Formats: sequence, C-alpha cells, structure tokens
Amino acid sequence: MMTLPRPAAASLLGGLLLGGLALTAQAEDTFSPDQLAVMAGGCASCHGTDGRLSGPVPAIAGRPRAVLESRLLAFKGDTVEDTTVMNRIARGFSDEELSALADHFANIDAP
Amino acid sequence: MSHNIHRRGVSRRRFLQGIGAASALPLLGGIAPFAIANGSAGRVVVIGGGFGGATAAKYLKRANPAIEVTLVEPAEVFYTCPFSNLFLGGLRDLRSIAHGYDELRDRYGVRVVHSLAEDVDPDGHRVRLANGETLVYDRLVLSPGIDFRWNALEGYDEAAAELAPHAWKAGAQTERLKGQLEAMEDGGTFVMVAPENPFRCPPGPYERASMVAHYFSQHKPNSKVLILDAKDNFSKQGLFTAGWERLYGDRIEWVGLSGDGRVTRVDAENLEVETEFGTRHRADVLNVIPPQKAGFIAERAGVTDDSGWVPVKAETFESRQVRDIHVIGDATVAAPMPKSGFCANNQAKVVAAAIAAELSGRSAPEPYWTNTCYSLIGPEYGISVAGVYRVQEGVIAEVEGSGGLSPADAPDHVRALEAEYAVGWYNAICQDTWGTSV
Repeated sequence: MMTLPRPAAASLLGGLLLGGLALTAQAEDTFSPDQLAVMAGGCASCHGTDGRLSGPVPAIAGRPRAVLESRLLAFKGDTVEDTTVMNRIARGFSDEELSALADHFANIDAP
Repeated sequence: MSHNIHRRGVSRRRFLQGIGAASALPLLGGIAPFAIANGSAGRVVVIGGGFGGATAAKYLKRANPAIEVTLVEPAEVFYTCPFSNLFLGGLRDLRSIAHGYDELRDRYGVRVVHSLAEDVDPDGHRVRLANGETLVYDRLVLSPGIDFRWNALEGYDEAAAELAPHAWKAGAQTERLKGQLEAMEDGGTFVMVAPENPFRCPPGPYERASMVAHYFSQHKPNSKVLILDAKDNFSKQGLFTAGWERLYGDRIEWVGLSGDGRVTRVDAENLEVETEFGTRHRADVLNVIPPQKAGFIAERAGVTDDSGWVPVKAETFESRQVRDIHVIGDATVAAPMPKSGFCANNQAKVVAAAIAAELSGRSAPEPYWTNTCYSLIGPEYGISVAGVYRVQEGVIAEVEGSGGLSPADAPDHVRALEAEYAVGWYNAICQDTWGTSV
C-alpha cells in the first residue's frame, strides 16, 4: 500500500473520532472536490460517467454509502466470490480513499 | 487518433510567417494572462477526438463550463480500435464501434471542428488547421494517437497497407481486412506480423488472432492463424496460450523472436514475408502491424523526443519539452501505464482537472489513474489485466499490491463473466468518452 502525506488536521481529527464517524469526517476533510473528481475518474470508465450507467457492469451512483463502502472493502480483502477485476483495483486504494469514493458515489443521483 | 493525410503542405517557417503577418500582434510571450484578465475562464484547444481527446474536452467542460473548449478532429465518425477485433471475429458490426460528437457539442458545449490540425506554434500559442482557421489557446491538449513508421519494416509502406492491411487504426482498414478474411478460401493461412514494444494496445494482436480463429472455427474450419512476432514475450501470454489451446487446439501458431519470428521484409503484392534468418512465409491473408510513433501533430508541436514518442511530466502530463502543451494517450511515454484507450480516457480526466484548476488559480489535484484491458479469446471467454497508478517520487508507478492478470485457474463461468464485463466496459467507456453511438 502506498503511504502519502495527508493534512495533519485530518489525521488528528480521525484520531479523535471513532468508527464510521471518523471515516466520514476524514473523507470530507481530506479530499478536495477537485481531488475526489480525479480519484473517481477511473470508476466512470467501466460504470459510466458519474457511475450512472446500468448494464453488465452495475451503476454505482446513488447506492447507500455503507453498502458501497463495505462492498469496496470486501473487494479489497478479496472475499467476494467470482470477483473479476474489482479486487485488483480496490487494492490500489487506501481504506480512507475507498470510504471517500463510497461517499462520493452515494451522493450522486441514481440513474 | 490521428489521420495520416495531407500533412506536409506548408512548412513551419511559412506557417509562422503567416501568423506574424496575419495577426499583426507584438510578441507577447503567451496569451493566458490576457484571457484571464478579461474574465474568461481560458481557452483550451484539444487535438484528436479519440478516447483521450474527446474525454478531455468533455471533462474540461464538466469541471468549468466557462472554459472555451475547441475539439479538432478530422473525422465525423470515430471507429474505436477496442472491439474492432470483435468485428473481425463476426461478433459485431462496424456500426457498433462507431461514435460521433453530437453530445460533446450539444450537451457539453464543446466547439467541434472537423478539420486536420496541420501545425502548432508553441510560442504564439496557436494551432493552424487545414480549413485555414487558426486557433489560439491558453492550454493545448494533444491526443494524437499513433502514426506508422512506413518502411521501417522493409517493403511496408502506405501502398503495401492497401494489400496487407494493418487495421491498427480502425475503420476502412478494418473493413478491408474483414473483406479479405471473408474472401479467403477454406484451408488458407492468416499471417499476422506483430511488432516490438512499444506499440498501441499490447494485447491487441493476440486478441485479434483469437477472433480470427473464432471466425475460422465457424466458417473456415480448415484454416490456420500464424503469428510472427518480433518479441519473445507478450501481454497476458500465459492466459492467451491456455485459452487458444482450450478453444482452438492447434489452429493458432505463435512464433516468437527466438524461434525466428521477427519479420524483416514484407512483399505485400505476393503476400509473402521474410524473417531475420531468411525463412519465407506465404499468407492467404496478411496483416502487418508495423512499428509506430506518436501522431504527426506531436512532432510538429515539438513535443516528441528521439524515440518518436512524447515524454511528459507525471503529475500533469504537460510536455517536458514545451510549456502549456499537455499530451495524453498512446503518443506518450507513460509506462508502466500501457498504450490503451482506458489509460487515454483516465489521463484525459487528470489533465482536464489539472488545467481547469490551474486556469482558476488552484493547484492541480494529485493524479489517480486506473487501467483495465479486457481481451476476448472467444465470445464467452474473456481475460483481463488491470492496474492502479499514482505518482511516486516524481514518476508514474503502479500501486504496490494492485492490479495484475485474471487468475490462470479461473473457472469457465468466471471467463464468461469477464467476456460479459468486457461488453459492459466498452459501453461504459464509450458513453463516458463520446456519449453517442452513430
């Protein structure tokens, strides 16, 4: 896993809060809208612009945040049966980044 | 994707003189400060309407609709190289890989100019088009695709490509190759000449061999596929080899560099090729994928180096050689990212975000790139390679632990899933890039 410098304030906040609340606060505080747009850019290449295309690859926009996050973490942990590429892709992101992505797509209108 | 027509009409010197005379402006050393001072969000010209260029134009407008974005692409209909092999295999028609620019123009407000960009004046921040128009930019995005190094392989030039198609830019060439496959009598041999690295779409030749073998298995059961390769290793080699054996038995033969697979001369009229050690192979249909370089306009802009490709700064894909020109897609040196449409699409989003931020006085966000390349070995047999990339210590690096190949021991239903997801991917990336089918 890569280690990248994060703003000290976000780390401190994350350290003070607990559980899911901490992750939410980190996702919002750590990544600017510009940064989130770039981080989510790769998702659109298979899930459509803003993750809103339905088809053999499912839409991800507007799904509950907790569902998206637990699914991404399961892909990363390689515990999803018959996974094809999502395990290989999720391993490229920190838990914090996956949480931010879950938040990002949960807040986009479903198709 | 670039288009290799009418390129050498006017010299750089004449172009520069012409601009000096026509504009009657003093040399200002860049236009950007004036544009921003006047309240405009900036002018961006994007050259090339493929996966990189079309995505860059769209995502610039999504980031800030006030940016004036002009997309320059000669073709009104763009045929994708991805899935062109499926057309050769008989799984799709050509129309299904054709895309247009209506949505970019009508929904996103991109000005689309169907003309060829003939020259770039980096100092004056200007682009000259074949239709006589001159475009002024604050930032230029080049997504020029590839051009071929004609005659780098003895005997293979533009005329030879009419007889022995490359079909490595999709459209008329792909149709020509398909026509030849259909006209071939059963019992014939399809010979493919595969190039050394680097080249567009590393797994492409091997997917093509698979799709031709599939077509033969359906329509010409006594026909063979012979791949003559200039290298000893290729993308997803183990997965392809296992899939070929599984689906096609001994129909596909691959000869690598060590087995005298490197072709050094092409006789397109006689459909014959000769290898390094003098072995001659006669084809019934001959497909030559020649050595490549960055598309022509990259050279004119002065962004290519001695390799013929374009070195870029990892963070923003700005040229290392010329300011305010960003280059994306197959033309760039972006290893370990492959020359794929997926990467071009992802690089475009990073560049669009960087330009939009910088034109508004913010700093560019950190890049994230992803790649997934599916290949079909059969209609229900898909394989893939994936990767996630970041900048580490100033260079592009694959994130440790991410990416990799489909498992060698995946069961049939997972291969079938990957074939299904390949179609889902194609639909999604084309929606994300052009938004329209033709």
